[in-house]
Amino acid sequence: MALDQQTEMTQSEIDDVLSRHETGVLSLARSDDPYAIPISYGYDSEHRRFYMRLVSTPESEKREFLSSSPDCRLVVYEETEPVYQSVVAIGTLEQISTDELTADHIEQYGKAKRPLFEIWAEGKEELDVQLFKLDPESMSGRRIEIES
Amino acid sequence: MSGTETYQFSCPECGQSLTVDDSMRFALVDNGCVVCGAPLRGTEFAACS
Repeated sequence: MALDQQTEMTQSEIDDVLSRHETGVLSLARSDDPYAIPISYGYDSEHRRFYMRLVSTPESEKREFLSSSPDCRLVVYEETEPVYQSVVAIGTLEQISTDELTADHIEQYGKAKRPLFEIWAEGKEELDVQLFKLDPESMSGRRIEIES
Repeated sequence: MSGTETYQFSCPECGQSLTVDDSMRFALVDNGCVVCGAPLRGTEFAACS
């Protein structure tokens, strides 16, 4: 297997990849501790923003990492042989309070998959669903074509 | 004063309650609960007096 060519994706190509997917890997950090989790998102291609629901429990590690407005990276990738594409969005997660919700927010969260409560051992009453927005400071995408 | 109606929304699945206007009510019925994503019937709203 050899790399045929690697190219930077255009913003339009990045929008296409992000719009046809709904899951990615969100990476957070605190001091020297990394934390990465699979998440689902809704993508607003007009404003290039991500909307996500993050579910945590009172004692969870995730809640500790989300305790302030954390810097993050979101990676979304796909492999459709012979093409491999990946998008990296870098920015700061912003929590959206239910007090500031608008009809537009509700429509954007409608594009995000439901949190999978059923995979949690704890009862729903112990789960805390927080709403976040990521308005990336930068986004980049790469396409690699693999020569067979 | 715009005269916009307000409603108290309560999600039967996650228990989230919100005070919403008409545009938010329509968006919730179309998109499900904003917090947990549960589908809604449109009967989860009570008009605020």
